[in-house]
Amino acid sequence: MLSDVLNPDLFASAIRVATPLALAAIGGTICERSGVVNIALEGMMLVGAFFGTAATLALQGTSIGPLAAVWIGLATAVATGALFSLIHAFASIDLRMEQVVSGTALNILALGLTGFLMESFYGHPGSTDAVRETLPQVFNFPVAAAGSGLLGTVWTWINTLLFSHSPIAYMAIAIAVIGQWALYRTRWGVRLRALGEHPRAADTVGINVRRGRYAAVVISGALAGLAGANLALEQVGTFTENMTNGRGFIALAANIFGRWTPVGSYLASLLFGFTDALQIKLQLVSSAIKVPPQFFLMLPYVLTVVVLAGVMGRAVAPAAVGKPYEKE
Amino acid sequence: MPLLEVREITKVFPGVLANDKVSMTLDAGEIVALLGENGAGKSTLMNVVYGLLSPDGGEVLIEGKPANIHNPRQAIDLGIGMVHQHFMLVEPLTVTENIVLGREPVKYGQVIDLAFARRAVLELSGRYGLKVDPDARVMDLSVGMQQRVEILKALYQGARILILDEPTAVLTPAEVRELFGVVRSLVDEGLAVALITHKLEEVLAIADRVLVMRDGRLVGETRPADTDQAGLARMMVGRDVVLRVARTPGSPGEVVLSVDDLEVDDDRRLPAVKGVSLNVRAGEVVALAGVDGNGQREIVEAITGLRRPKAGSITLRGKDITRATPRQTIAAGVSHVPEDRHRRGLVLEFDIAENMVLGDHRKAPYAHGGIVSTKAVADTARKRVADFDVRTPSIHVLAGALSGGNQQKVVVARELGRDPDLLIAAQPTRGLDVGAIEFVHEQILAERDRGKAVLLVSLELEEVLSIADRILVIYEGLIVHEVLAEEATDEMLGYYMTGGGGSKLSAPVEKGGS
Amino acid sequence: MAGRPEIVEQRDWTGIAIKAFSPVVSVILAVLISSLIIWAFGKDPVAAFSALIRGSFGSMNYIGETFLSAVPLMFTGLAVAYGFRSGLFNIGAEGQLFMGGLAGAYLGVVLGGMSVFIALPAIIIAGALAGAAWAFIPAVLKARVGAHEVITTMMFGYIARYIVSWLVTGPLKAPGPIPQTDLIGAGAVLPRIVQVFPALQLGRAHMGLLIAVGCAALMWFILKYTTTGYESRAVGFNPLAAENGGISIASTTVKALCISGALAGLAGVVEVLGVQGRIFDTFSSGFGFTGIAVALLAKNNPIAVIPAAILFGALSAGSSLMQLEANVPIKVVSIIQGLIIFFVATEPFVSKWIARRRKEVTARAQ
Repeated sequence: MLSDVLNPDLFASAIRVATPLALAAIGGTICERSGVVNIALEGMMLVGAFFGTAATLALQGTSIGPLAAVWIGLATAVATGALFSLIHAFASIDLRMEQVVSGTALNILALGLTGFLMESFYGHPGSTDAVRETLPQVFNFPVAAAGSGLLGTVWTWINTLLFSHSPIAYMAIAIAVIGQWALYRTRWGVRLRALGEHPRAADTVGINVRRGRYAAVVISGALAGLAGANLALEQVGTFTENMTNGRGFIALAANIFGRWTPVGSYLASLLFGFTDALQIKLQLVSSAIKVPPQFFLMLPYVLTVVVLAGVMGRAVAPAAVGKPYEKE
Repeated sequence: MPLLEVREITKVFPGVLANDKVSMTLDAGEIVALLGENGAGKSTLMNVVYGLLSPDGGEVLIEGKPANIHNPRQAIDLGIGMVHQHFMLVEPLTVTENIVLGREPVKYGQVIDLAFARRAVLELSGRYGLKVDPDARVMDLSVGMQQRVEILKALYQGARILILDEPTAVLTPAEVRELFGVVRSLVDEGLAVALITHKLEEVLAIADRVLVMRDGRLVGETRPADTDQAGLARMMVGRDVVLRVARTPGSPGEVVLSVDDLEVDDDRRLPAVKGVSLNVRAGEVVALAGVDGNGQREIVEAITGLRRPKAGSITLRGKDITRATPRQTIAAGVSHVPEDRHRRGLVLEFDIAENMVLGDHRKAPYAHGGIVSTKAVADTARKRVADFDVRTPSIHVLAGALSGGNQQKVVVARELGRDPDLLIAAQPTRGLDVGAIEFVHEQILAERDRGKAVLLVSLELEEVLSIADRILVIYEGLIVHEVLAEEATDEMLGYYMTGGGGSKLSAPVEKGGS
Repeated sequence: MAGRPEIVEQRDWTGIAIKAFSPVVSVILAVLISSLIIWAFGKDPVAAFSALIRGSFGSMNYIGETFLSAVPLMFTGLAVAYGFRSGLFNIGAEGQLFMGGLAGAYLGVVLGGMSVFIALPAIIIAGALAGAAWAFIPAVLKARVGAHEVITTMMFGYIARYIVSWLVTGPLKAPGPIPQTDLIGAGAVLPRIVQVFPALQLGRAHMGLLIAVGCAALMWFILKYTTTGYESRAVGFNPLAAENGGISIASTTVKALCISGALAGLAGVVEVLGVQGRIFDTFSSGFGFTGIAVALLAKNNPIAVIPAAILFGALSAGSSLMQLEANVPIKVVSIIQGLIIFFVATEPFVSKWIARRRKEVTARAQ
């Protein structure tokens, strides 16, 4: 029974579950580093997931074929996530709106808009049709390449853990590493950190605060859109109403737990991913251990609270986060 | 041809004419002081030159050519650098990162060439004698050190014109002298320096030329050799001013506040107060003098219950209040004028009446059984507004809509109106103009004369010397010197405020330090 | 630095007018934009909104349905507003509502046999306490370690739903195939308005409306005339200054979030006792989240929460007729809500901009 839970698939699915969280969390990191709070990650993911699916469904029957369609769907998800985030950027940077309020409005708007469009396009609430092809696994090494025995077991672990994923899972890891490097080693990164800590200082040396913050918000929207594409086009294969189910908020917590760094955000997401993967595995055996499935379903949310409570006192947010910048 | 020329600059803020056709020039190799009270328009003018504000009229010329400066970037490109009153440094970034920010040397398009940047910083710091650690994080540096980083930043950006906005407000006398040395050497190298200040003695010490501003207008120009403090003060205020409050010696009675071996940690959980003992008696003003960040804030917060002491004891009239909450210390008779009225003193979104009873709001007559008596609150507010001359059309104006001086009067009125046994006044005149400073000083002295104990925390030596009876100098969390006010001098206090770092100070200091 | 003018002018009527009318303008703008969206999808916006209006105010019965939908929104609107006034964003009112509803459903069965005059008040108070208790842990986490309430109350919302989902499928499940609790007893049923005032033929609308209006009045009084309200507002605006004035930030925060939770709990218990008679997985259609929109539209003013909740209640009550007659998906209501929040939140910017323009003009004229 233990092997039903503790097997390579558990860890592989931890990475799978972590991927959308990590992408959104890194988006949150970049956005908050620039000084803008983004609680609309949830809505941006939803928008990306919906339009990515819609584009795929619309194109998969055409001559380009279902595989090209799903890639275009991915691009659409990124683009619409970014486009939707422009509203948040405009509200918080130009209108100097309370950023949490703007985020809330966008979350509700995204829920309404995706639901409305789904019914208008497909005639029924709930879910869209399934896309014909989801994004394929990147590597396809034979499972039994190393035969059975110890070597075979090791290979199964390596193959499942490292080589069983679809493209966006690898993208997320790459984005985390490159993001981390860029944040500390590039001009963009140094300026981004300056924006979130002391925008006036950045302004006085001629850095365009507005442009820098816009870029950060839009990047976060694009990443959230990619996270949505991962959910809809890689993992599930359809769009379901409110399919993000609080992931945007968990991503924000992961960003805090990861201390506003891309790699930290990824690792924190991995922890949540592991909890969630464990939860799914445990559900399979829940009848045997006689624990209601709801208790497993609660796990990620409980963990979020515990982590936040444990880390909060020591984590220091960017000093200017949430404060609109106003020239005198 | 002057390096910088400003022609008839006009700047309008909602309801205020901040600059009214101001013209001035600045030549290479000279230091011009812009003197004026708070709100006279000095910073506004320089912010226009630096591109932070756009003027409503007039023009700026650099080497005779009209310069269209719409943002700091353009100003920097024209060779204008500015060191702001509140430092424009990004605290978690390193010294090097801060200095090159906005003009980062890059390779491959985006990657910062840190080695190159570091070398550039070291070279500049060597050339002008401004020693810094290029890899230190700014948040770990002292204020004086941060100012050096600011100056280096301007030099790195190629400044030929350097604007210094109230550069000495946060410095010790020794650091001031050092800064002036640096400024002089910069000017000798051919830079032009504009110095914004409201301190008369500084103007006389360093400036080549003085421009005096009042109410947005340029009201006079002179040279230090042709004037003295009283003359400058008259130009600045437009009337004769008493430079020090007339004061009679206090008559100290019994001990009201007694602090023993107090140890307190700061926000970063590092020791900030390392065993301080002091007492304040009824009818005396004791000043805690020191440079910002030497533990004063932590002492005050410990006494008022805002911060938990790590060790030691605090007693008020024999009653132990070491671990009292703010509510309990207020009840015990402690009033506190906090160092930053916006941060801790006022609820800006509350009206004056609501602010007037903050801290007394649970007590009769303002509340009975948890129900607020708006009439009692309004009556008290009206009385205090009248007593303390708060300029407002109504007690229902929001505190945030008042001027800085009137806001401070509201805080002082509330804290004194409570009729405390002990008044703690931290930087009670920060950011106020001469008139308001006089008023606050008079109120504090009146309180003393009514037999109250007053603990004044200040880094302004003027203030300390003019209203304290006894002065305690604090340095790095320890009381390093105690002296009666009539025996104290600027130089002596400055000596101890810098930890007796005699090597930085010139001859006259040793006299006072004995 | 330029000083501010010493004397502040007399009342700024234009500013006040902008503040007062901005919710109305926001609603109009939201309706216009959603009309465009409806029109873009080939539906008739005029037919849609006329159906929406008839379906919410077209008859006494429809008005009753509007009130029925508005009551939980009044409570959650008040809950969120009280949080905002104290500087807290209670985004998890939904979870507190579930806990209030759970208490109501459980006690409604247990105490349902008792007299209405004992059972009803007892259960309602228990529902409020359950909501407060559910807000208590996030409140303490906020006060002690600074864990942001936006995330913790949200997470507690999910946890509450799973607890209810577990109870209605397991320990508290009523016999039968549907996962729900037993029907509450007669003594626990909140009477309909028509039963108490026969002249008001308001269909299913129940006396919870009166309780909600009473709570709004009470909250207005608390904020304006009690030291609790004074301290909540002080901490909400400037916690450090409040602390300096002897107000404990931690206990005020805990108290405020618990009051907010209690109001959300009332939404749940009143919904169970007045409408559903039991609790099940989906007994709330996002009242906690719509409460945010209500509070923002009302600008956190407890009295203004009443009309704001009625507006949102009307949107939800009328949307079925809109779908039926104009074939417009109900989800359009969420779009309208999102847009309203958005436009209301732009008001400070708009009024500041107008004020600046006016002052610039007068300053130049001088």
